[in-house]
Amino acid sequence: MTQAPEAAPASAGAAGAALPRTLTEAAAALRAGRVTSRGLTEAAIAVADRLDPALGTYLARLDEQALAAADAADRDFAAGVDRGPLQGIPFGVKDILATADAPTTAQSLVLDPAWAAGRDAPVVARLRAAGAVITGKVSTMEFAVGMPDPEKPFPIPRNPWDPETWPGGSSSGTGSGVASGMFLAGLGTDTGGSIRIPAAFCGVTGLMPTFGRVPKSGCAPLGYSLDHIGPLARSARDCAAVLEVIAGPHPSDPDCVDAPFRSGEWSGDLTGLRVGVVREHHFPAEADPALEPAVDAAVDALRGLGAETAEVTLPYWDEMCTADIVTMACEALAYHQPDATSRWGDYFASTRAILAIGALMSGADYVQAQRMRRVAQDAIARLFDRVDVVVCPTVSRPAPRLEPYLREGAEVMELFSFIHTGYWDCLGNPVLAAPIGFTAEGLPLSLQFAGRAFEEMTLLRAADAFQQATDWHLRVPPLAAGAAA
Amino acid sequence: MSEQKTETAGAGETGERVRALLAAAGLPASEAEIRRFAAAYPGYRAAADALYAVPEARYADPALRFRAEARITDWA
Repeated sequence: MTQAPEAAPASAGAAGAALPRTLTEAAAALRAGRVTSRGLTEAAIAVADRLDPALGTYLARLDEQALAAADAADRDFAAGVDRGPLQGIPFGVKDILATADAPTTAQSLVLDPAWAAGRDAPVVARLRAAGAVITGKVSTMEFAVGMPDPEKPFPIPRNPWDPETWPGGSSSGTGSGVASGMFLAGLGTDTGGSIRIPAAFCGVTGLMPTFGRVPKSGCAPLGYSLDHIGPLARSARDCAAVLEVIAGPHPSDPDCVDAPFRSGEWSGDLTGLRVGVVREHHFPAEADPALEPAVDAAVDALRGLGAETAEVTLPYWDEMCTADIVTMACEALAYHQPDATSRWGDYFASTRAILAIGALMSGADYVQAQRMRRVAQDAIARLFDRVDVVVCPTVSRPAPRLEPYLREGAEVMELFSFIHTGYWDCLGNPVLAAPIGFTAEGLPLSLQFAGRAFEEMTLLRAADAFQQATDWHLRVPPLAAGAAA
Repeated sequence: MSEQKTETAGAGETGERVRALLAAAGLPASEAEIRRFAAAYPGYRAAADALYAVPEARYADPALRFRAEARITDWA
């Protein structure tokens, strides 16, 4: 951690006012009259003007609509109308989610634009109703899977900590946008790690809610039984504020249950919390040398806050990693089959590789994967009888350099040997990824906090306590600190 | 994966099986893609086969549910 950047001071806004770093701080500042939504939004636009050409965060910027929404939020504040903590907050939306005021592409040549034209996904409608200021549609991997394809007419997403590296995916733009200050929070989706991977590589916080907590209709599907919509933001508390808005049943999603989310108290005290620490599988020989000391320090910090820690192992690790791929590939192929047979070359190379896996598996393989998921769900529930939260590294290595993965025939799947997220998608438990330090090269490292189904508040409280005691989540890439200053 | 090994993977029984499965699904993969997929196929096949070898799953119900009363509701 020799080059870990300092927590940068609050940046200067368009009007010269000091701007808050987190959504939660911004919400308080808006209500105290220290900033306006227009000021926050103009500052966010200024950062995008400066950095987006280099980072490829946006697929579509909505500057005019955002400023209009900001003015509306300011008028509401002036009139005493308070729609909650997202009111007036600049917010990015992954371009796999339908929005009425902008095209939805899934970063693909294939998606029929008519599918989402003029319509908001339920989660987007909820953001608007809560007063969020949507600044644009942000980059994804094609249909939320794989890697960039330089042969296709879309920006290559880059990491604000080092633009030669990947910001992670598939919620690439949401991660890079939060890290660089183009917006204070955003929506991502997670089918094999697509919220937590960019959160890890970009040094921000990302929450995959429990499967069924948030309606996923209006999201171009990748894996119907694996897809989760959730927030990326600076802090666990920010993620809770977003989850509160987007959670709750919707009749269009048969998987979504009647379980709205409400934040609880943020005491910072973890006395009595039982934390299981996973080491098996997560520290391979190729792991970054800074990872284990960073994880040890994070676990020490949790212990210092009152948590009781014990080493645990995750049941059916290999089987769930396999089940995630089998399930994702088969469900994706079912969705894409008509286009894949007629427009194969229009898909990104890595998307084609995933669809091919679906063709190489049998119907029985798919069902067997679902039987294993049931067995593992039961086993993980028994583990959570013994502990309240499980922590484990999100990734074993930092953001990889992009160039090798942009070559024709690049072997993308090797990436997943050091990414430890797909296990949890198969189980449906909520998992939060939070920054815990940096490599010697100054790239972020990350820890996952997993909890029982529909008990997000337990892991959010643990991560919040950690973030009250540390400031890793507030670090800003030097590139962005320079642009905003 | 070396180019020589990839070339080998595209031929032979594994390569023909992969070619047939992709063709059955109607996926017009290129020869280079077929070679790459064939090189990876034994690993995927072994991993999928391992799912059948877990004793606890022998009589497990899958994480799938059919609901007779379900109706399609538009989202916007």
